[in-house]
Amino acid sequence: MSVEAREKRQPWILLSPALVAVTLLLLVPLLFIVVYSFWLRSAVGPDIQGFHPDNWQRALTDPFYRYILLNTLKIAAITTFFCALLGYPAAYFITRSSGNKLILLLLLMLPFWISYIIRTMSWINILGSSGALNTLLISTGVTSSPIQMLYNEATVILGLVHFLLPFMVLNIYVSLDGIDTNLEDAATSLGATRWQAFSQVTLPLSLPGLAAGGLLCFVLGAGTYITPLILGGPRDAMFANLVFEAIITQLNWPMGSALSLLLLLVLGALVAIYNRFLGMSQLTKGLG
Amino acid sequence: MGWAAIRAYTILVYLFMFLPVVVVVLLSFNQNQFGSFPMTGVSLRWFEALWNNDAVMRAFRTSLVLGLLTALISTTLGVLASLALVRYTMRGKNLITTILIAPILVPEVVLAVALLLFLNWLGIGKSFALLLAGHVIFTLPFVILVVQARLVSIRRDVEEAALSLGASPIQTFFSVTLPLLMPAVAAGALFAFTISFDDITGTLFWKPGGVETVPTQIFSMLRNSISPEINALGTVMIVITVGLPLLGAAIARQISIKRGI
Amino acid sequence: MDNTKRYERLLERYRNGDLDRRSFLGLIGAAGVAYGVQTPFAKMAFAQDVTQVRFDGWGGVVSEAFRRHAFDPYTAATGITVVDGTFSGGDEYLAQVRSSQEGEYNIAHLSGVFDYARYVNFGLDVELNLDNIPNMELVMDALTNAFRGITPDHLSAVPYNYGTTGLAYNRAYISDEEIREKGASILIDPEYQGKIGGWSDWRTRLWYAALQTGQSPNDIQDMEAAWDAIRTHRDLALKYWGSGAELMSLLAEEEIYVTEGWSGRIAALQEQGHDIGYYDAPNSFGWQECLFVIKGSPVEACEELLNFMLAPETSIAVAEGQNYPPALDGTKVDLGEKIPTLPAYDPTGTLESLTFADPVYWNGNEAEWSETFARVQRGF
Repeated sequence: MSVEAREKRQPWILLSPALVAVTLLLLVPLLFIVVYSFWLRSAVGPDIQGFHPDNWQRALTDPFYRYILLNTLKIAAITTFFCALLGYPAAYFITRSSGNKLILLLLLMLPFWISYIIRTMSWINILGSSGALNTLLISTGVTSSPIQMLYNEATVILGLVHFLLPFMVLNIYVSLDGIDTNLEDAATSLGATRWQAFSQVTLPLSLPGLAAGGLLCFVLGAGTYITPLILGGPRDAMFANLVFEAIITQLNWPMGSALSLLLLLVLGALVAIYNRFLGMSQLTKGLG
Repeated sequence: MGWAAIRAYTILVYLFMFLPVVVVVLLSFNQNQFGSFPMTGVSLRWFEALWNNDAVMRAFRTSLVLGLLTALISTTLGVLASLALVRYTMRGKNLITTILIAPILVPEVVLAVALLLFLNWLGIGKSFALLLAGHVIFTLPFVILVVQARLVSIRRDVEEAALSLGASPIQTFFSVTLPLLMPAVAAGALFAFTISFDDITGTLFWKPGGVETVPTQIFSMLRNSISPEINALGTVMIVITVGLPLLGAAIARQISIKRGI
Repeated sequence: MDNTKRYERLLERYRNGDLDRRSFLGLIGAAGVAYGVQTPFAKMAFAQDVTQVRFDGWGGVVSEAFRRHAFDPYTAATGITVVDGTFSGGDEYLAQVRSSQEGEYNIAHLSGVFDYARYVNFGLDVELNLDNIPNMELVMDALTNAFRGITPDHLSAVPYNYGTTGLAYNRAYISDEEIREKGASILIDPEYQGKIGGWSDWRTRLWYAALQTGQSPNDIQDMEAAWDAIRTHRDLALKYWGSGAELMSLLAEEEIYVTEGWSGRIAALQEQGHDIGYYDAPNSFGWQECLFVIKGSPVEACEELLNFMLAPETSIAVAEGQNYPPALDGTKVDLGEKIPTLPAYDPTGTLESLTFADPVYWNGNEAEWSETFARVQRGF
């Protein structure tokens, strides 16, 4: 075997375990979903097989689904924005701090040790009528009766930001940590202000992390259904709630399949855009 | 923005992250089941109840084992794949990257049902191995994303220097690349473990009979009411995760002081 | 049925005086012969014979009570282990059963008649031999009859417990008189805007909408009026709760003052000293739960387990744990002290005071109504 051929085979050897796993456990099962989305639900007994575009037609034309889909993207975008806003400075601090970075990162993961449901429900103990915040406000005389803060879109976003922030911080941290601090020092010694050094040297170099974190927050945010269930009001729902309801409550697997593929397509388009403009390979070339 | 401002801002961010933790820890010492503030009394009854609750303790052990195995497998697969994606040029790299991070693009309910339908078609029943495989699949993208971001910034010429000095590619990986990659590997493993430890939806669908993880145990408690024992478990977890690293750091400092003498 | 069990049954009947000594010994002899003949074949059969039965239920106290009073004695008596699974909702569980292989799931603690009809419609039912479940004698006929309405010539489940979804209210803000006067309409009373709750379940929402619009819940004529009542409630409500844990915390922490609620959960709140009232308005939503045997299960082994689960001591322990009265007839069995005090408990054993959903009517409209509700809930 020539050296060249070996060089060519190597990446595939490295990739194969992950690719096989994903193909077998995700892609092939997803094909089932694609097939299913063209079936029809029958009121009684097994679903009707065949090729029926009805579910797709409904998913694409019904204003109800469009409304929820747009609302989901909106909530995910706001969540991502706040994660970046809160996460970037924190990640920057961790990277540049003289303390033990590992402990700071571990601390950030701390809430994950408390189960997601409990963590989400604990906001009720914080923001509820008899929650910590209202108790504090009443005892300090800011307000005389409890303020209703819970069960609206804002609390859903709050819950999501709390859930997703660590993902953002870790991603930004990883890329910031890889940037040589000498670069910033060099820039300042050449006469740049600290802000200029940051915005023209560090920030651009940390964009892959910010973008990866943003993508992660957006996608995970758009795919949640438990947070709106626990922290939302009667109307608040995200697209994954509709998928969950179609599959679990209404037992309409064909429709649920079509809806989830729709969500998948929208998020997939987003990843395609990400890959096009900020894709890993693009960045590798840029840095090389 | 000055350094002090960034520090203050970061402290606020951490406070925000800790708020639910503080509440859960406080309520685990609450006398009453429903934790309205102000608290009515301090008690250790929920810790005692937790210790005696076999179901929760069993679920806790299952979650730990599952999380550790998931982290191990997922990190290994993820590091290998990231190396291939960053260090080699090949056709269809973007497509492969997208495929590998696809598991987080699919809503988990769909992934769960799709996988079940597929295995059902193959005639394979549920098992712990299936649960583990499911967890590996949806933690893998996190590892790949984190590790890739780091790998990109490790300069190729360091590796090439090692290679040119006669190290084999495998030697180079273990003595040069891996140490530089360690923060990302650790972060990836941590991600994988915590996500596995905290997962509900997939686990609900894939768990075989008689196996409960902490989240599914809590989920099944929802019908009646979630006992504050779960808050107590949260507190224990926090004590372990905060206490162990602090202890480790303290020991490390002791050792280095002694060496200094 | 294996021979050990046959022997135990005989012994029990003999002890109870159902058999005289001579026929007992004769039967033992016959059993012995049968045993000798059967054994070589039985051994082969045993290789694929029943070694475990899977039960899925609500976990927690229910699971503990079953383990202690039914599963462990059952395993001791038959050598068959019981694998105990939990689910968080009937819908999610049905999705799992549908995507599983036959025989993977055996017995489930399901919401009575709706789920019974659904499982039967999906062809997931079996035919139980009630002779193998002597404790069925103690179960109220009213509950069993509901299932016979769906499968007239056989049963695939035994009733287990029942309850109501009635009005739960904070007595510090709403008096007993007010709730009696307003009934279900208090849930669409603008006076309590932002302090109203409701279950996110479409059936319950429609049932209460029927009551609020003065219609019979089992025969809604003016659907548009009912949907409008749901819209009104949606806009006045602070929160749709999705679990008993949420229901309890919303009421206990005074997040809401009034909601409809599950009788057993409200009883639990009252037990803890919260001043929450519970009122079953006329035509309040009655329901029952059953232990359903799923197609592909080892039916005989399941029947025997069901008998253990229906035994009064098991039923009472489970009932006291979850605060829902057992399916056992209070006129035939001494149910102890606590159960007669539970909300929804019917001492007459006829259950005539409760209104149950007509499964044919509700399941017939399920596809359309559940989807319409999903839209109405989000403002459409």
